[in-house]
Amino acid sequence: MENFTNETIDTTQLPKFEDVHLTKLHASYWKVLLVNIAVLILFLAIGYGFAFTVIEELHPFQMAVFIVLATFIGLVILLTRIGFRKKAFAFRNHDVLYRNGIIATNTMVIPYNRIQHVALHEGIVSRLFGLAKIEIFTAGGNSSDIEIPGIAKEEAENIKQLLMGKIQKEL
Amino acid sequence: MESHFSVPQQQSKIGVLVMFLDTIRQYLKALWPILIVWVFKFDEISKVWLIAGTSFIIAVFAVIAYLKYRNFTFYLDYENEEFIISEGVFNKTKTAIQLHKIQQVNINQSFLQKIIGVYAVDVDTAGSNSKEGEIKAVSHAVALELKARLLDNNRKSAVSEFNAANATETISEVSPFIKIGLLSLVKVGITSNYVKSFLLLLLFFFSVSENIQKVTGRDVIYNENITNYVDDGFWMQAFLIGMSILFLIVLAINLVRIIFKYFDYQIARQKGSLLLSFGLLHTKSTIIKPEKVQIVSVSQNYFQKKLDILQMKIRQATSGEREERKSAIEIPGCNEAERDEILKLLFAKIPAKGMMLKPNFRKLGFAIFLTIGLPLLVFYIFRSYNPTVGVAVNYLVPVYVLFLGLIQYYKFRNNRLFIHNDFIILQHGAWDISNEIIEPKKIQAITTSQLFWHKSIGIGSLTLHTAGGNISFQLGNFELIRQQVNRWLYEIETSDSNWM
Repeated sequence: MENFTNETIDTTQLPKFEDVHLTKLHASYWKVLLVNIAVLILFLAIGYGFAFTVIEELHPFQMAVFIVLATFIGLVILLTRIGFRKKAFAFRNHDVLYRNGIIATNTMVIPYNRIQHVALHEGIVSRLFGLAKIEIFTAGGNSSDIEIPGIAKEEAENIKQLLMGKIQKEL
Repeated sequence: MESHFSVPQQQSKIGVLVMFLDTIRQYLKALWPILIVWVFKFDEISKVWLIAGTSFIIAVFAVIAYLKYRNFTFYLDYENEEFIISEGVFNKTKTAIQLHKIQQVNINQSFLQKIIGVYAVDVDTAGSNSKEGEIKAVSHAVALELKARLLDNNRKSAVSEFNAANATETISEVSPFIKIGLLSLVKVGITSNYVKSFLLLLLFFFSVSENIQKVTGRDVIYNENITNYVDDGFWMQAFLIGMSILFLIVLAINLVRIIFKYFDYQIARQKGSLLLSFGLLHTKSTIIKPEKVQIVSVSQNYFQKKLDILQMKIRQATSGEREERKSAIEIPGCNEAERDEILKLLFAKIPAKGMMLKPNFRKLGFAIFLTIGLPLLVFYIFRSYNPTVGVAVNYLVPVYVLFLGLIQYYKFRNNRLFIHNDFIILQHGAWDISNEIIEPKKIQAITTSQLFWHKSIGIGSLTLHTAGGNISFQLGNFELIRQQVNRWLYEIETSDSNWM
């Protein structure tokens, strides 16, 4: 008890989460996203081609539909690009930070002693580019889980080991 | 009754009846469409067959029920610290629940069980969404004793410093320190849940009218008689009368619902936990352990303030299932002194409101844009294409604007975040003003969010994730929010505080 002190914490002197330097996602992850978009375009193109060869009444609208689809795809590419550029993460000594969002900037922080478990996920496209996704789960349900995509496989393994170690220590 | 449950034992004899009726109920649930067909084709089947068939089925049910009863045993294995339930007629199941994993033991009584005079004991553990063990029919004394044993052992292994005096105290000795009387329930019934009851009524109305339409082939709502009556002068009157009748029905439904659900509400204190029991037909009892409580919300509206009642909702840590997270334990109709008593038990002290954060006026602007601006825009665009449709709706526009404007204004005015060293309190709501209280150590994760055009004015949003749900505060002073986030992170990360 004699060693017990209870000083007032100066909140301005605490480490600031907003000043942490965040690591961007791996550059190859953009290619993964492009592949995903390409698949989407493929499906749209098949639908488009099918619709306009089979149903003759649609012919007068061909140009309009094409423009709408093209704008939609352009928008998807743009938003995906912004989303990709925005995503970043950092592992501090005691917590993990993840930033994402398109028009908003969301920053989520999970202290290591609140993590329930960690998982590594490799999508089929991501694996081609040697990338993996780290999933961090807490007891707070879906809304408070973090999924960090686009991390090089080896690095992801290391991060997972690091987190597992941290969780064990906290327990 | 002083058994230690160390030898396998059966449920009380009358339990056969519960098993029997329960089996019938289960099959009825699955087979009711067939039964309906049967009833309608009553004439086509000879009566002899009907009686023979029915009695045969009932006999089969009785045999099944008896076998179920005979094969259902439960006991406590003190050596392995397990509670073991064996059941099943053809497929035998043996459920072993480790005592230290037991989170909750509930003693319930359904309508059926109430008539017969037996109780059900449900055992809940962490890490699954359904109840693990269920004993359907035991006498009250056995139920209490079993509950005490289960929780006792659980506690002994978890916390060793519980002294003998505490451990031998049984539940039956605990007298409730808060009882919510009928008068309080009536007060709650007439002052709360208008929207919920209204929606229920609407749902009921639509399903009934749909059924009538199906049967009679006529549309009830747009009956020609009604449309003929409605011209402009009469319209307002009819609307007002309709509204007041609707309001009265809503009140009545709500009153009945609340009384049925919460009749004879008792709160007792037991070894640092809260023990609740309530219900008119279906008596429910449950335990709240303070360390599992994540969010406590206290709500009160203008009428309730005048009548000195308030409602509490307690959210506990759950295993993360979505539908479960929605379910909270409600305490209707306690007064301020009782509220403080409960809060003291849950948090060890009465939560204090600290530094106050207000939302930026832009929040009000955005809310008005969303709930008034956009709908009106859509409405007028629609009107410009169909100028003849629904002239009467014009009267409703100013009412709508005024009503929603007031709601949004009060919502904005009441929205506050209070940050104290030990508590975070979010106040919100237009009519029912509720205060959601959480402790910083219960935070699982923190999200801050800022729109890029809000950067220059320095406002942003905060979401605190707990195991019992989230708390969000929008468009506050972002600098202050970030400072607090850093403090909370510091506190969570430097201590091994237990969130559950």
